[in-house]
Amino acid sequence: MSEQTTFVPAQTRSAVWMRLLLWAVLIVFAIWFLLPAYVVVGTSLKELEEIRGGSLLSLPHELNFWAWKHAWSEACIGVTCTGLEPYFWNSVKMAIPAVTLSTLLGALTGYALTKWQFKGANMVFALILFGCFVPFQVVILPMAQTLGIIGITNTVYGLILVHSVYGLAFTTLFFRNYYVTIPDELVRAATIDGAGFFTIFRRIILPLSPPIIVVSVIWQFTQIWNDFLFGASFTTGGAQPIMVAMNNLVNTTTGVKQYNVDMAAALITAAPTIFVYIVAGRYFVRGLTAGSVKG
Amino acid sequence: MASLTIKNAVKRYGSVEVLKGVDIDLQDGEFLVLLGASGCGKSTLLNMIAGLETVTEGEIMIGDRLINDVHPKDRDIAMVFQSYALYPNMTVGRNISFGLEMRGVPKVEREAAVLEVAKMLQMDHLLDRKPAQLSGGQRQRVAMGRALVRRPEVFLFDEPLSNLDAKLRLEMRTEIKRLHKRLNATMVYVTHDQIEALTLADRIAILKDGEVQQLASPAEIYDQPVNMFVAGLVGSPPMNFISSTVTRTDTGYGAEISVRANDGDQPVLLDLSDHPTDLSTHVGRKIVVGLRPEAITQSGHSTGSTTQSFACDIDVTEATGADTLCVLNWNGKEVMARVSSGYAQIIEGTMDFAVDMSRASLFDPETEMRLG
Ligand SMILES: Nc1ncnc2c1ncn2[C@@H]1O[C@H](COP(=O)(O)OP(=O)(O)OP(=O)(O)O)[C@@H](O)[C@H]1O
Ligand SMILES: [Mg+2]
Repeated sequence: MSEQTTFVPAQTRSAVWMRLLLWAVLIVFAIWFLLPAYVVVGTSLKELEEIRGGSLLSLPHELNFWAWKHAWSEACIGVTCTGLEPYFWNSVKMAIPAVTLSTLLGALTGYALTKWQFKGANMVFALILFGCFVPFQVVILPMAQTLGIIGITNTVYGLILVHSVYGLAFTTLFFRNYYVTIPDELVRAATIDGAGFFTIFRRIILPLSPPIIVVSVIWQFTQIWNDFLFGASFTTGGAQPIMVAMNNLVNTTTGVKQYNVDMAAALITAAPTIFVYIVAGRYFVRGLTAGSVKG
Repeated sequence: MASLTIKNAVKRYGSVEVLKGVDIDLQDGEFLVLLGASGCGKSTLLNMIAGLETVTEGEIMIGDRLINDVHPKDRDIAMVFQSYALYPNMTVGRNISFGLEMRGVPKVEREAAVLEVAKMLQMDHLLDRKPAQLSGGQRQRVAMGRALVRRPEVFLFDEPLSNLDAKLRLEMRTEIKRLHKRLNATMVYVTHDQIEALTLADRIAILKDGEVQQLASPAEIYDQPVNMFVAGLVGSPPMNFISSTVTRTDTGYGAEISVRANDGDQPVLLDLSDHPTDLSTHVGRKIVVGLRPEAITQSGHSTGSTTQSFACDIDVTEATGADTLCVLNWNGKEVMARVSSGYAQIIEGTMDFAVDMSRASLFDPETEMRLG
C-alpha cells in the first residue's frame, strides 16, 4: 500500500458511497430471494409440532430428517403409500433416454441442415423452428392418439417419445446455430479424405460440440424433469413421473396437513435439476454465447 | 501420374452462370495456376475438379477417366484449403493420417507414411500437437502434409498462402515449387497474387467472369498478353496503355504521342515498323500501345533493336530497391518507367529515356484485343 491512500478525493469518496449502497441493495435482494428457499429447507427439517407452534422463520431446534425419509419411502400418493421413490426412478428412466435421444437427434439434424445444404433446407429449418412456438396443449390430443396407435400409452416409453419429439425443435435450433459457426471447409476436407456423412459427424463434428451439448442437456433435462402436463396427460398411477406424483402427494391429505413432508418432497423433486445446474451450469452460459463470439 | 482435361465446363447456380465454358488441357506433371480477380470463379472451378461442386455441363477427366460423377474420395486428388481446414480435435499426426485411415490403410503403414511426410516438411517434432498449438506457417505445413501423404494424381490448392505474412509466403512458395519438382505431380493452384502465378506456374490460366482469357506460359502471358485485361492484370506496376493513332512514315508505321519534356509538350513518333502485324489497314485508326515499365528505361541502357530515345520530364520517383520507378507524363497521363536505381536518385527534372518498341504490345481500343 502506498502513502497516497490516506488522501481520498471527493470524487472517490462518493464512489465509495455508491459502492456501499450497491452492496446494501444487493444484500437486501439476496435475502429477499433466498427467504423462500430458507423456509422450505427449514420447514422440511422441523417436526410437525414445531411447525404448528413456532414461527415460519425460526431455525429448526434440531436437524430432523423424518420428513425426508417419509416423503421418499412412506408417504401416501393417492391410495398407494410408497413415497416418491418409485416415481423418482420413473422420472430418471424417462429423462435420461429422452434427453440423450433429443440431443443426439438435434445434433444430427443441425449438422445435416448446415453442412449438407440440400434444396429446401432453410424451409425445413423454418418449420422446425416453428415447432418451438407450438404450445404443449396443442399437441396433447394428437399425441394421445399416436401413443394409442403405437400401443405405448401409460408407459415410460410413451413419455420418452413425447419429450424427444417435442424437444427436437429446440435442440435442432441450438445445434444448427452452433454448427453454422464451424467452417464448411472442414467437411469438404473430410469428404476428400474419404469420410462419409456419419463418419464426419462422429469423428469431426461431435468432438467439437461439447459446449452446445451441455446447453442442450441442461435445457432438455430441466424441461423434461419439470414437465407436469405431459406426465399428467399420458400416465396414471404407478407409471407417473415424480412431478405428477409430488403434486398428488401434496394433494393427498388424510387428516393433518404435513407441511414438513410436502417441503421435503418438493426439495427431493427439485434436487436433480439443481444438481445438473451446479455441475454443468458454468458451461451453460459459455455454450449459449459460443456461437456469437469467435474463438 | 495423370493428365487433367477440362472440356467446356459450365457451372450455373440457378440462372447465374458462374463458369461459361472453360477448356483446359493439362499435361501429366504440369503446374497450372488459375489467376483472376475475386469472384471470377477460380474456387468454383477447383471445387468442380475436386468433386465438391457438381458440373452443370461439360466434362472433367483425369487421365482418360471421366470423373464428372465420381465421388471426391475416388478421384485420386488432394486439396489444400485457404483456411487449411485442419481437424481441430485431432493431433497433427491424426490430421495427416485421417485420409489413409478412411481408406483402410493398416496402422503400421499409416505411421510410416506420416513420419516420412513429416520429415519431408520438417515437422516431425509437431506430430503430437493440436492445430491450435501451431503457428500459421506450421498449420500450412500440416495442410500440405495431409495432401502429400496420400500421393494423389492431382493436387489442388485454393489460395494456400494467402493467410501467411510476406516472408513466410515467400518461403512456402519456394517449398511448393520444390515439392512439385520432387513429386512431379500434376498441380492446380488458385491465387490472385500475380507474382505467385508467374513464379510457380508452368502455365497460367487467366480467368475473368467465368471465362478463360489466356492459357499460356508465364513468359508468354507477360510478353504477349492477348488482351488489355490480361496485360493489366499481370505485372507490377502494370503495363502502360498509351492511346494514339496509326500513321504512315517513311520506314513503315508510327504512332504519334505528346510527351511532357522541358516543361512543354513535345510531339514524339513511336516507331511501329518492327511490329509483326500488317498495320496498313489500321492507318488513321485509333490504337493502344502497351509498354511495360521496363521497356522505358534510361537512355544508353536499353539494347533492343528498335530503341528510340527522347527526353521526358520526371514527375515523381519511387525507389523500389533494385531499380527506381519514374512517373512520366505522356498524352497528359501517367506513364511508369523503370530505371536502374543509380540514376533517378540524382536526377529530377528532365532526362533522356530509351523506349524499346520491339517489346510493345498493340491493342485495338474497341475490342481491347491484341493485334498480331
Ligand atoms: N452457391 C452459390 N450460389 C450462387 N452463386 C455462387 C455460389 N457460390 C459461388 N457463387 C458465385 O460464383 C462466383 C465465383 O465464386 P468463386 O468462389 O469461384 O470465386 P473466386 O474466384 O474463388 O473468388 P475469390 O478470389 O474471392 O475466392 C461468385 O460471383 C460467387 O458469388
Ligand atoms: Mg476462392
